[in-house]
Amino acid sequence: MLERLATLAMGARFEVVLEARDRPHARAACEAALEEIELCDARWSLFRSDSLVARVNREAGEREVPLDHETFELLAACAELRERTRGAFDVALGVRMRELGFRGAAPRASAVRPADASEAPFVLSNSRRSIRFTRTGVALDLGAIGKGEALDRAAQVLRECGIERALVHGGTSSAVALGAPPDCAGWRVGLEGFEPARAIELRDRSLSVSAPHGRTTLRDGRELGHVLDPQTGAALEPGLRAAAIAPTGREAEAWSTAAVVLLARGLDPRALAPTHIELHTSAAAPHSSLRQPLSTTR
Amino acid sequence: MNSHDRRDFLRVTASGLAASLITPALAFARPAIHASAPVRIAVIGVGRQGRAILGELATIAECAVVAVCDSDDSRLQAALRRAQGVKGYASAAEMFSKAADIEAVVIATPTHLHKELVLEALKAGVHVFVETPLAHSIEDLQALSEAGKRATKVVAAGFQGRANPIYSLARSFFKSGSLRDLATLRSQNNKKTAWRTPGSTPERDKELNWHLDPALSLGLIGELGAHQFDVYHWFLGRHPVAARSRGSLRLHKDGREMPDTVACELVYDDGLVLDWSCTLANSYEGRYEMFGGSMAAIKLAWTHGWMFKEADAPTAGWEVYANRQQFHNDQGITLIADATKLAAQGKLQEGVGLPYTSLYYSLADFVKAVAEKGAPACSLSEAARTTAVAIRANEALKSGAEVAIDAKLLEAL
Repeated sequence: MLERLATLAMGARFEVVLEARDRPHARAACEAALEEIELCDARWSLFRSDSLVARVNREAGEREVPLDHETFELLAACAELRERTRGAFDVALGVRMRELGFRGAAPRASAVRPADASEAPFVLSNSRRSIRFTRTGVALDLGAIGKGEALDRAAQVLRECGIERALVHGGTSSAVALGAPPDCAGWRVGLEGFEPARAIELRDRSLSVSAPHGRTTLRDGRELGHVLDPQTGAALEPGLRAAAIAPTGREAEAWSTAAVVLLARGLDPRALAPTHIELHTSAAAPHSSLRQPLSTTR
Repeated sequence: MNSHDRRDFLRVTASGLAASLITPALAFARPAIHASAPVRIAVIGVGRQGRAILGELATIAECAVVAVCDSDDSRLQAALRRAQGVKGYASAAEMFSKAADIEAVVIATPTHLHKELVLEALKAGVHVFVETPLAHSIEDLQALSEAGKRATKVVAAGFQGRANPIYSLARSFFKSGSLRDLATLRSQNNKKTAWRTPGSTPERDKELNWHLDPALSLGLIGELGAHQFDVYHWFLGRHPVAARSRGSLRLHKDGREMPDTVACELVYDDGLVLDWSCTLANSYEGRYEMFGGSMAAIKLAWTHGWMFKEADAPTAGWEVYANRQQFHNDQGITLIADATKLAAQGKLQEGVGLPYTSLYYSLADFVKAVAEKGAPACSLSEAARTTAVAIRANEALKSGAEVAIDAKLLEAL
C-alpha cells in the first residue's frame, strides 16, 4: 500500500511517499511524519512569534535563553559545522537575510552590524543548556539545516512506527530515503542543472541541493541568490550548484550550503568535507528559468 | 502639519486616551517566577503531548525534568534520548517508590488513566499538573475534584486558555463590556487529519488509538472541544444547562465507529447558545473561539486574537494606531498587550502574536504556582466542570437526544 501526503512548513512543501501494511496505517504514518515536520517548524520558524528561534532572536542578545535538548544539540552541531567549513556554513545570518529581503521586512538600520567572521556569533552553555549572542545584531536563521533536521526527525518517526520504505522531501531540494521501493536499489532522484545531468539511487541516505538561484532578490539591478557568504555577508550570484549526499539531512544541508559558498570563494569543498559526505558540484550558468533542482521518480 | 507630525500627534493623543483604558492583567512577557531552586519535575506519559511538554519544560529555567515515565518502552527510550540525563520508569508506582527527589509531576497519559495517576501522585506528596479533558466519566471527575479539594499541594489542570495572555487580555475586554449585548458564541476545530497514531504493529495501533475507542474516549467533543468550551466557561463565568449534538463519518471510513464530523449546541439558561463544530475532513479556518455582541465581536485563535467593532461602537483612542488585519469584508483589530507602550516605541508590529507557545504559559504558570506556593490558572474543580459539560455533550451525540446538564452536579465538583 503506497500512500502520499503533503504539508506546507518552513516556507516549503514537504511530501512523504511510503509503503505500509494497510491504508489506515499508511495515512497515519504519513501524518505522523508530517506532524513532526510541523513541530520542527513551530520550534525553529522565523515566521512564528512563538517559535523558540524567534524567542532566542528576541532575547539572546540580552540574556541567556534556555533551550530544549534537541535545539541545543542542533545548535552545538551548527557551531561545529561552522568551524569545519571555515565559516562557509553559519546559522547566525538572520539579520543579513532580512536586510537583503529574504525573510520579510528589513530590520531597522541600527540593528544591522557587519558580519565579523572571526568571532563566534553565539556561545552555548552546556551546564545551563542555554544560548547567548556574543554581540548585538545577531539573529539565528535555521532555514536550510532546520529543513534537513526536520526530515531526519520525520524519518525517525516513520522508523518508530514500522515503516521500512519511504521518501520524504522538502521543497524538492532536500530528501531523505528509508530503504528503497520494491525491486529497486534505491529511490531514483534526478539532479537537474548539473552538467552532465545525473540521477542517483538514494537508499537510507539524505540528499540536499543548494543553488543560490533557488530564491533570488533584485538589488541595485542585480539578481542575488539566497545563499550568503557568512564572511562578507554578500549574497552569491546565481550560477553555482552543489549537491551533498550524507547519512543525515542535517549534514547534507550544511555541506551543500557550504560547498556553494566555498566554490564562490574559489575553493574546492571536497578538500574540507569528511569522506562520508558525497559532493556533486556544478559551476554552470543558471538555466534561463528557475527549475526544481530535484526530480524524484519511483 | 506634515505626515510625520500628524503620526506623532496621533500617537501622543492615542497614548493619552489609551491610558484610561483597560490595563491588561498580564503582559505578554514570560511570567516572572521566583524559585529558590529549580522545581524537580517528572513527566508521566511521553507520547505526542508528553514530548511537547518535555520540550517546553526544558526552556523554563526555574524547573528541571528529573524523570520520565511511560509503560511503553519504545516511547520511554525515545523520551530518554530526547531529554538526556533523566531517569526513566515503566510505571508511576515504580517511579514514586524509587525517586524520592521528585517535587512535581506532569501527567500526559490517555484521559481514562488520569484519575488513578493523580490520586497516586497526591498520595506520594507531589504537586500535580494533569492534562485535559480531566477524565472520561462523571465518577472519575467526582473523585478527582474531591482529591483536589483535600490536596495540600498545587493541583493544576491543562486547559491552556486560562494561562494564555492573549485570552486574558480578550477576557478583560469582554468583562469590561466591550461587546455589550452578547448574542452569539461560535467555535470550531477543523483539521484534515485521520487523528490516528501509527503503531509498529496492529496490536500496538489499537493501544495507541484509545481516543478512537468510544468506550474509553470522549471523542472529538471531549478531546478537542472541551479545551474550547472551557474558554467560554472562563469568560462567561457560567455553564450551559443542556447539550444537543450530532455527527457523522464523512471521510475516514477506515473501520472506526466514531464520527469524524460533529456539531454541538450548548444551551445556556438565558437562551444563549454556543455553536461548536469540528471536522477531520477539512482544515478551513482551523480552530477559533468567537464571541459576538451588539458592539463588537472577539475572535481568538490561540496565538492571535482580534476585535471586530460595529460601526456604531464607540471609538477608543488606541484604535487610531492599532494593528489591523482584513478578513474579507471585516477588519480585525489585533489584540496586543502593552499596545500603548509598544506604539510609543514604534514597535507595535513586534507585539503581534504570542511570544511563547500557549503550552509554555500553561506549564510556566504551574511552575510558578509550585515555586511561589500560589494558585494555578486552572484548578481541578474548574477543569472538572468543563469536562462534565463535554461528557454530557458526548452523551447527546451518542443518544441523539438533548441531554440536560445538572447545575447541582457542576456545583458539587
